[in-house]
Amino acid sequence: MFSLLYRMVRDRALAEDLAQETFIKVLNGIKSYRPEFKFSSWIFKIANNAAIDHLRRKSIDTLSLDGAPSAETPEQMRATSLQLGDRTESPLDEALNRELGTAIERAIARLRPEYRSCILLRHVEGYSYEEIADTLDLPLGTVKTYIHRARNELRGYLEDRRD
Amino acid sequence: MTDILMHLTTDEIELWAQGLLPAARAIHLADCSLCRVEADRERKVILELVQLPKFAPSAGFADRVMAQVKVHAPSGDWTG
Repeated sequence: MFSLLYRMVRDRALAEDLAQETFIKVLNGIKSYRPEFKFSSWIFKIANNAAIDHLRRKSIDTLSLDGAPSAETPEQMRATSLQLGDRTESPLDEALNRELGTAIERAIARLRPEYRSCILLRHVEGYSYEEIADTLDLPLGTVKTYIHRARNELRGYLEDRRD
Repeated sequence: MTDILMHLTTDEIELWAQGLLPAARAIHLADCSLCRVEADRERKVILELVQLPKFAPSAGFADRVMAQVKVHAPSGDWTG
């Protein structure tokens, strides 16, 4: 669950805050847990909601790596993304680059948050499409579409890097 | 079109990457260069994703969480 949060917000301290918020909600709200729902899915649902809420509030996904919110293709995102220029790396930047600096991690960061949740649950956490649909409260068809689009975009980003 | 002639869907490519593609569809894949190229590209991404490391929070995280959880005292007086 922490890995999902960290990859969603790309900030270790913030991911820990959101993980803490998630566990407190889980432990304090255990009476509202419905046993027909997988327990880990319930935790992921709360964690994912916390991450998505945060990203919506702060729009940090559009500040660092993505382009304008209206950008829909990798080309549009590149054209509208922020240019950071040369700067000295802080210890925190170094840690982030070490942990999330690989090409695949950077590519994941460029996905829109809804795609990111789905692709991480599918391929990192090993959830089935049905489990993802339950966890994220999305129709099964939407989950499949998001995952296919996410993989397509990732392929595009990774192949651009190799060219 | 028969199973042998139809190109693989994205779902089937994912099944192939997991080693779960039915034999009839695997025959098409073996004969179709378009599907093989597509499947190889997809497999590379899936492999990169499944090999991603898991991260853990810093030391003391569990203690910090538990310090903030309300622990309700039992309602009955069990000491008699």
